[in-house]
Parts: sequence; C-alpha cells; structure tokens
Amino acid sequence: MILAGGRVDELDVLTFLRPKSVLPFGALYRIIDFPMSNLMNSGIERVGILSQYRPFHLINHIANGQPWDMVGRNRFAVILPPFKGRGASDWYKGTADAVYQNRDFIRMYNPDLVLILSGDHIYRMDYQAVIDFHIEKKADLTIAFTAVPSEGADRFGQGLIDDEEPRGGKVVRYVEKPRKALYDWASLTIYVFNPGILLEALEENARKESHEFGRDIIPSLIGNARVYGYRHTGYWGYTRTLEEYWRTSMDLLGDRPRIDLGAWQIRTNLAHGEIRDMQPAILGPSAAIEDSLLYLGCEVRGKVFRSLLFPGVRVEEGAVVEDSILFFDTVVGREAHVARTIADIGVRIGPRARIGGKGGELSVIGTESEAPEGVTIQPGVTVYPRVEAGRFARDEYRSGEIIK
Amino acid sequence: MRNVVALLLAGGVGSRLNVLVQYRAKPAVPFGGIYRIIDFTLSNIANSGLTRVAVLTQYKPLSLMDHIGDGSAWDMAGRTRGISILPPKTGEQDWDWYKGTADAVRQNLRFISSDRYTEVLVLSGDHVYCMDYGPLVAFHKERRAQVTIGMIPVAPEETRHFGTATLDGDRKIVDWQEKVAKARSDLASMGIYVFDRAYLTAALEKTKDEDFGKQIIPRAIKEALVYGYPFEGYWRDVGTVQAYWDANMDLLKAASGLAPGACGIRTNHAGEALPQDRVPAKISASARAVNSAVSPGCVVSGTVEGSVLSPGVIIEKGASVRDSIIMHDTVIREGARIERSILDKEVVVGENALIGRGNAKKANARFPDHLHSGLTLIGKKASIPPNARIGTNCVVFPMVGRKDSRSFSLADGGTAEK
Repeated sequence: MILAGGRVDELDVLTFLRPKSVLPFGALYRIIDFPMSNLMNSGIERVGILSQYRPFHLINHIANGQPWDMVGRNRFAVILPPFKGRGASDWYKGTADAVYQNRDFIRMYNPDLVLILSGDHIYRMDYQAVIDFHIEKKADLTIAFTAVPSEGADRFGQGLIDDEEPRGGKVVRYVEKPRKALYDWASLTIYVFNPGILLEALEENARKESHEFGRDIIPSLIGNARVYGYRHTGYWGYTRTLEEYWRTSMDLLGDRPRIDLGAWQIRTNLAHGEIRDMQPAILGPSAAIEDSLLYLGCEVRGKVFRSLLFPGVRVEEGAVVEDSILFFDTVVGREAHVARTIADIGVRIGPRARIGGKGGELSVIGTESEAPEGVTIQPGVTVYPRVEAGRFARDEYRSGEIIK
Repeated sequence: MRNVVALLLAGGVGSRLNVLVQYRAKPAVPFGGIYRIIDFTLSNIANSGLTRVAVLTQYKPLSLMDHIGDGSAWDMAGRTRGISILPPKTGEQDWDWYKGTADAVRQNLRFISSDRYTEVLVLSGDHVYCMDYGPLVAFHKERRAQVTIGMIPVAPEETRHFGTATLDGDRKIVDWQEKVAKARSDLASMGIYVFDRAYLTAALEKTKDEDFGKQIIPRAIKEALVYGYPFEGYWRDVGTVQAYWDANMDLLKAASGLAPGACGIRTNHAGEALPQDRVPAKISASARAVNSAVSPGCVVSGTVEGSVLSPGVIIEKGASVRDSIIMHDTVIREGARIERSILDKEVVVGENALIGRGNAKKANARFPDHLHSGLTLIGKKASIPPNARIGTNCVVFPMVGRKDSRSFSLADGGTAEK
C-alpha cells in the first residue's frame, strides 16, 4: 500500500495543485514512479494507492497499472480514495487512518504480508530483500532505515537498532521526529507488517486521537511485538523541501551521477501528458548544452547548463538556462536568463526576463504562470500558479516576495 | 469515414535501401530517430478517423508485426476499430505468395467484402508525409469517381520512379504513364488510391492483374471514371539511400515542412519491449551538440552536428558524428569520427575509427545504383574495429566484425561482407 495522499507545505506552489507523489522528477518521471518501479522489479504486483489530495493527476498517471505491468488476473494497481461509510468514515485523518479505512481491501486479498510505503522518495530498493529479512527474523514488523542525514534530523523517525548483522536487527528504541539527532538510523517509512499485527494495531489506534504510523503505531509496537530494523545502504533522496528536491535532482547530473536511472530500471506512464507522441528533441544550430538531461519534444536553441528539461520544453535563441529544473512544456523566451529556478508545467518566461541567480535561494514559478518580457525576478521569489503576465505590476521583484 | 476501409500495402522490399532492409521490410525501417516509416501512414489513418485497416505484409514481416502490436499506439484497438495484419496464406501450393500489390488485395477480398464499406482506401507504407485522407475521400464522393488517385508534383527528372498523370479542368485523369523518364506530366501518383468498393471487387475478380500501378490503374483510366487529387504538402518517397538521408535531415530544418510531432505522427515505444522506459537523453559537460535530433537514452559526450540520433546512442568523449543517421543503441567509441553515414542499430565503432570520408564520386563497386552520392551504410550489429578507415559510398554488411575482430579498412566504394 502506497501512501500517496499528501501535499507538502515546504514544497509550496509545486504541491498547490497536485499531491507530492506526482511531482515531476528527473526530466521525465513522477516521484511515485520510483516506488512503483521498485515494486514491479521486486515482483510485488498487487498495489493499493491511498490518495486524497487532488487525486486527478495521480489517477491519470497510474491509469490501470499497465505502465508497470500491473494488469492481469492477479496483478493490479488501484487508487483507494476516501469514502463515506455508514459510520463516521470520511477524509483520511492520518496515514494509519488511511490504511485502517481500507482494512477490508487488505482482508479481501488475505495476504501473507503487507508492505506499506510512502510515495515521495527517490531510491531503488529490492523490497524482496526486506521481506526475506522480515521472514528470517520472524518479525511482526520490519522498518527500513537509512543513516540519519546530517541536517534536518528532526524531520525523521529515529531508531536504535541492535547490531545483530549487517542487514540490521531488533529495533530497541524509536522516537518520532525528536528535536535533535538521538539515534543513528532514520526511518524510511517503509514497513513490512504481518497483517494480523497490523490490523490489531490499527483497530486499537482507531479509538485514539492521532492516527500516524510514525507517531502512534510504531511506538506502540516497540517492546510489545517483534519489531526489526533493516538498513538500507544505497542512495536515498529526500524531496521534502525545495532545496532538498533541487539537490536530489542535481544528483542525476555529473559524469558519475549518484542516481543511475538506467540501472534502476524505472518506468513511468508515457501516455500521461502525451509524452510518447512527441518528436525527438531538436537542438538548433546555436544550441549549447552541457551536463543536462532532456527528453522527447524539447527544442533548444539557446544555452542550457546543469539543468533538467522535461518533455516539451523550449529554450529559444539567446536564452540561458542554468542550474534549473523546467517541467513539461515550459518555454524560455529569447535572451531570457534563468538560474537556480524550478518552473512548473507550462510556465512561460518572456523574452529578456531574468529569473533567479547563482548562489541565492531558489526561485519557483507555479504552473502555467507567465513571467512578462524583461521582468527581473531575484533569487528566492515565489510565483503562484496561473499568474498572468499582466499581474506583474513592477519590473523587479526581490528575494522573499510572493507574486500571486 | 466509418464506411471507408483502409488497406495498407506493407510488403515492399525496398531493395534500393540495401542493408537497411536486410532484416526488415521497408515500412519497418527506422526513421527520424524514434519512428519507423510506416508510422506516418498509420498515424495518418488514425488521424483521419478511419477505424478499420488491414496491413498486408509479406517480406520479412517480424519487426513490422512487433511494431504494430495490437494497434493501440495509434488508438486503433477497440470493439469498433482495429488493425488486422494479413500475411500471405499458404494454400496447397507454395506459389500462393502475393504476386503483386493487386494480387495481395485479391487474396484478401473477404476483408473488404462487408456491405458496410462503400470505399476502399489503398495506401502504401513506404512514404513519409502527413495527410488527412478525409478531403481526398470527400473529393472522390463528390465526383462520383470509381477511382481517385492522390497526386503530387515531382521534379521532371524524378518521373521515372512514378506513375504520372495529366488532369483535365475537372481533375479527371486523361493521360497516364507508368514510370517513364521525361514523362508528359510531372504530377506523380503517391500510391494512394480511393476505390469504389464494388468497382475494385469487380476489377480484381474479373482480371488476373497483379499490380495497381502497372495494370489496375491504367485499365481503370481506359474504362472507368478516374480522378486525380492533387496534394500539397511534405511528401517523400524514401526509396533510395540518398532520399532516405535527405528526408531524415529535413527533421532538422524548421522550414522543410517535416514536423512529425506537430502533425500527430505517433510511434509504438512499447514495441521495443525494454524492461524499463528509455531514460532522458544526457548531454555531458564535454559535449558539443548542435543542429541535431536527439532521442531518449542517448548519452552524448563527444561532438554531434547535423545528425539524427535514435534512442540509446552513445557518443563517447572525443568522438564526433557529423551529417549522419545513427540508429538505436549504436556506440561510437572515443576518438572515432563519422561523416555522412547511416549506422543501423547496435553497431559498435571502435576507438579512433574513421567512417565516411573520401571521394564521393567513386560509386560503390558492387551496388553502384544504391550508393553513388557519398553516403556510407553500416549494417545492423556490425562492429568496426579501432582505427579502421572506411571511405565513402561503402557498405558494411550486418554482423560484420562481430565475431571476428581482425582489423579491416575499406577504400571508397568498398563493401565488407560477412
């Protein structure tokens, strides 16, 4: 079961109109493609996706599961939206509540194990290895962990794991989002549950006020059930803040990128946004491109450095794009200059506009907004989605300003 | 268009394309980076609102059948729409193979026998163009024609490759010549025919005519109402190596009129049957990539200029590719230089090899008709050893060098066979 519902405040305008799980990533993909492909490559092909925030794009993207071969008599990927029941069922009140409300879905398939994932990280993992570990240890719950990152440790659940073996051991202590780094291992919000334990814990939690796996379910099981920690040693990319999302994206670049998409065998839905019907990228006679990724439908006549261009992006003559991420169908006009900027789908940047700058904070432009000709937008400015060119009253906007 | 049934003749050998058609029929030859030639006609069919199409195959149909799949890439799969692949049926005698385009249709008359259909649209899978067949069919119905032929002006020296016609003021065909030099008209048949279904059925039943261009059409002009429908727009018969190269290069020219993305040409990416989707193309820090078309999965670390790259092409540091067509998963190793060449899929070019430079006037000794304009062809899965020198107008057959790594070089006009 993939928890794909949420929007994330720190990602600001990028999740105004979509849940984070369908946030574009890596010049082609959506974040949920990573867990979906991991599931496919791990041979787990019965998938429920829990979603409640603006699910249209997610439904469109997952389609019938066919992009990940999850179509067949015993294979499926279905979206599980909140529903009105006879009782109090309503919007999901937390990650645990989302699964609790879909307990009949779990019972219907009577699985040996339930794997719960969140749909918002960039990584490759063979879940089968975690499951093997879980079975070997006769665990009730196995949680995957990665080494606590040096900054922002307070955003993760942290665990103390017994040093049984290289793969991991018993979870001795667990604290959800402590103020500072307490233990060495951060929860990846990947859980393998024995269904009996899971349903029991959810049933008990349903009577309480708070309904989160990290805050409520896991702590309640430590000491009362066999809870194991599995250490993930491969790449793990966070995307919870703009800066984090940008840095994880930049791990795709360089001569030896930390994210090796080819080896990871990631699939996406090429029908979403008609990507598959676009023609090859055209690089014009005056194009100069260095250390960048691009896809079908791109047209580059300007300069592009250390950037990611999603399908359908156009960079016109004399324009310069550097250290930036331009989502689908964004157009950068003639002689415009774009640096350290994330532009959402369908953004129009007018000729000679200057957006962002090296060194400063990231600039973000919401979907389908138009930066007018010649405007200067300093680093750290946020433009809301669908802001028309006429709404820009001034020629220059300074760091920290928000244009609505 | 629901009462029009389309027949797509995809059996063409296309022998003038030389090693490019050694393992595949001409309609299945890759084109423009991600497409195959047949994608143009299939997409035109879908975009014109036709719902029933039969693809008549014969010559090396495997890659074509994989590519077409169930037709869903062109939105041609469903209860009331579909692509049927009609290979020759082997009857009691092995000469049941199609003897020509008309014979192919005759052997599949049952496909068009339904009374639902009033017209039959006969198309070929050999051409690169974007066309809405709707106005053509409407023209045919308006004129109450028995046959209407799609026509396009060609250069006078090209008439020997085409059927040519003279039209009267009403666009009725009054004169027809089949593939003659210095024809009386430069209006050439595009190999697109709208037939009144009853007329076509009768013509195939009462004669033993085997070919549309040579027999059915000339006979119809004599005995029936045959009209010409002039088409204006980009259309190329990519039947020769040079024409094929030219049309690919048109993709790079904004003013050429070839814009497959804009006119809705689709391909079947799933036909590649890869375990994952092709990753985004990567242009490295050391690369120089200009005036080129680049497909997903390419990694460019060297120089690419004036070229069309299919998915998965790797151009290593210090290598250069100029004015060339490089197909799927071909690797150009460090320091290699390629000019005016067409490299088929999965070719490996060793370090510092040099391909395609030389005296363009020296035609290929073995295939002077195929290679005489200064292009070099490298067949599928060939392996060019490091430091090899391969001149212009050369042909390297598929698989050459794959198992035997001895060094070889080819002078201008040379051929390397396995």
